[in-house]
Amino acid sequence: MARLSVNGRQREVEAAPDMPLLWVLRDLLDLKGARYGCGIGQCGACTVLVDGGAVRSCITPVETVAGREVTTIEGLGGDHPLQKAWIAAQVPQCGYCQAGQILQAAALLAETPKPTDAEIDAAMAGNLCRCGTYLRIRAAIRAAAGSAA
Amino acid sequence: MSPALTRRGFVAASGSLLVALAARPASAAPGAGAAPLTAFLEVATDGRVKLWSPTTEMGQGTHTAHALLVAGELGVPLSAVAVETARPAAPFRRNGQMSSGGSWGVRAWEGPLRTAAAQARAMLLAEAAARHGLDPAALDIAEGEVRDGARVLGGIGAYAAGAAARPVPAEPALRARHPLAGTAVPRVDIPAKVRGEPVFCSDLSLPGLVHAWARLGPVTGGAPARIDDRATRAVPGVIDVVRLPTGAAVVATGNWAAIRGAEALALDFPEGPDARLDSAAISAGMTAALGRAEAAPAPRADGDFAAAEAAAARVIEAEYEVPYLAHAPMEPWNCIVRFDADGGLEVWAPTQAQDRLMGAITAASGLPAEKVRLHTTQLGGGFGRRLRDMEGMRDAILVARAVNRPVHFHWPREEELGQGWFRPAQKARLKAALGSSGQLLGLAIRTAGPSMVMDFAAPATPIREGGLDGTSVQSLADTRYRFGAYRLDYAMARFPVPTAPWRAVGATQNGYFLECFLDEVAMAAGIDPLALRRTLLAHDARALRVLDTVAEAAGWGTPLPAGRARGIAYVESYGSLCAEVVEASLADGRPRVHRVTVALDCGRVISRDGARAQVEGGVVQGLSAALGEAVEIRGGAVANRNFDGYRLLRMPDAPARIDVQFIESGETIGGVGEPPLPPAAPALVNALFALTGRPIRRLPILAA
Repeated sequence: MARLSVNGRQREVEAAPDMPLLWVLRDLLDLKGARYGCGIGQCGACTVLVDGGAVRSCITPVETVAGREVTTIEGLGGDHPLQKAWIAAQVPQCGYCQAGQILQAAALLAETPKPTDAEIDAAMAGNLCRCGTYLRIRAAIRAAAGSAA
Repeated sequence: MSPALTRRGFVAASGSLLVALAARPASAAPGAGAAPLTAFLEVATDGRVKLWSPTTEMGQGTHTAHALLVAGELGVPLSAVAVETARPAAPFRRNGQMSSGGSWGVRAWEGPLRTAAAQARAMLLAEAAARHGLDPAALDIAEGEVRDGARVLGGIGAYAAGAAARPVPAEPALRARHPLAGTAVPRVDIPAKVRGEPVFCSDLSLPGLVHAWARLGPVTGGAPARIDDRATRAVPGVIDVVRLPTGAAVVATGNWAAIRGAEALALDFPEGPDARLDSAAISAGMTAALGRAEAAPAPRADGDFAAAEAAAARVIEAEYEVPYLAHAPMEPWNCIVRFDADGGLEVWAPTQAQDRLMGAITAASGLPAEKVRLHTTQLGGGFGRRLRDMEGMRDAILVARAVNRPVHFHWPREEELGQGWFRPAQKARLKAALGSSGQLLGLAIRTAGPSMVMDFAAPATPIREGGLDGTSVQSLADTRYRFGAYRLDYAMARFPVPTAPWRAVGATQNGYFLECFLDEVAMAAGIDPLALRRTLLAHDARALRVLDTVAEAAGWGTPLPAGRARGIAYVESYGSLCAEVVEASLADGRPRVHRVTVALDCGRVISRDGARAQVEGGVVQGLSAALGEAVEIRGGAVANRNFDGYRLLRMPDAPARIDVQFIESGETIGGVGEPPLPPAAPALVNALFALTGRPIRRLPILAA
């Protein structure tokens, strides 16, 4: 049994302590926005926020997030400034990586509200996009940083 | 336990799945009682339109382009159109196959979709005219309403049921001017993707679904000699281990148990004849083919190259090489298989090739096609890889049969990258004969490498062993360049590493070979690379315009900051002409791309921002291949089977800017998804060549 808080709700799940958060979210809590891409923390498709910081949920044992606040893409609500910026910039192509990209960007802006281009690149370097939407991701982050000001 | 679904339960389950699949806001979903007007279009009583697209949406934006074409021709707002991929049937096939590839999504379907929308409009107007006693020629549809001049007669939904009973006009009149074609519209699939909604096959769930994760053998094939599953069966949640033709699948109640179980499997594969195959041996095999004495199939033999060479003041020669490339879509192969109580089979799959997949489904299940319902989900990337999933589909059916339950079958990333169907490795030997003033007298190219078509089409053999594979000489055989004498031949060199179409196919390697060699020629002749290309294309106004457009937009020839250089490349593929200029520098030996300028003549643009996104993505994927991508074969298997070893381009290496110039020449509409990719790598390499004076004749640029 593991206890965690997801998107503001206390949840209890029947999970072994070493079960990755990704599969707790997807299989036990039916939150499908975090996605499996590599299983080794190399692609970022599974990125979620834990206490506001970006983590790779595919290599994060659920026991390590006990008592902490997990935020998934579903928890952003749809009208988050980054989600609006993502739509305005028409960022996604296939979209598989984009929930992870948005949450990684959310962690960046929480820490660095007005990032430089170099800071954006450094923060986003762990999130792969095979469709090649990187330029639009940068533009959307810049736009969201501006609108949040 | 097999879920003994009642008919009602079955429909309810399917219904909820389809809502999840459709990836659209609920407000755009067609209401009940939608009337089918043509194979492509249904109109609901509330006026919403359902479009059954013949293409798979994998990020390339064709569902939006199709919605745009239909909305404008029919006369409804774009937001009224909901799009889903059709199930395989005659109206959705091109050359007998339902398939999304070859950059055909817009150019092949513009006509049929506009026709379908015009048919629907004519049927709705005929119904409205009959009901109101008016002349149908005086009526039109705008904003989803049937109008008689300025007077609104009613929403189209009010006429849908009656219209559906009317004859479908064979040759309906199209609108003189399509009101949306060429405009930038928002993508219909983006909002759901930004909200993280379950739009991919991997996100779907069904009652009673179990998960199966595969552990497979080396890319060179072969059945496991021994499977030890004792540790696997001890993993809590594991239900079964199913032997597969080239490995095994671990079935469990959840994904994590199946993954752990698959990792715990001990699989031994017999030491076959290919167990020592590695990248060096493949490279040596291609070199041997380059030097092969016997005549190779020659798609081009213009003039007399031997005479040009004999008369030359100078001969330049170089050998180029590219490795196998993986498609690496972010969503690995997965599919859902459910045998139903009524003897039917339902499959959900992220496929680019519905009919090819149906072939695998019917072969593995023994069921006739009419017993199979295939639902195409949206894809987490395709790039050609999802054109061929016969083995993965077969294995899923074997597992579902073995455990007698609905199964979600998954490949881990390691199998997605490790099971092959790669862009072929290839080599080329290029030779240029220059006259005394540096002018090009002739060019000879021999390429050597695998035959993608023979691998991909197997067991069919559309090409004889040692014959000509057109994809291996793609964009070389049909180039617009005039080199004087031109000899092109191809030496097939096959290896037991299966190859498949990879975005832009043979144009990717051949564009690199030719365009980089041309810069070597320009350097040797002391000619500007743009000037050389303008000379070779002097007879072709359309191609010159593409070159001149990119050169002007990129500021070709204008001063740059110290340490920066520009490179240019021009490649035609899939009916479109594309030239790119890359502005690059080197920082501690690592290339940095500052700006990419693209000129694309695709005849006409339909969905402007979607086309721009395809150009951007194609450029980034081309640069990714140039910089870091290579499949390493070691011991008969793929050595780099995850993203720690297979290096996709990451954001810090992405260009700071990509500027796109569409040239709407009015020529036959060409493709957009693939043509922007091939020039990117040679334009980057040529910029680095200009910077350092050293050619880069082997990709990727960054050493492993």
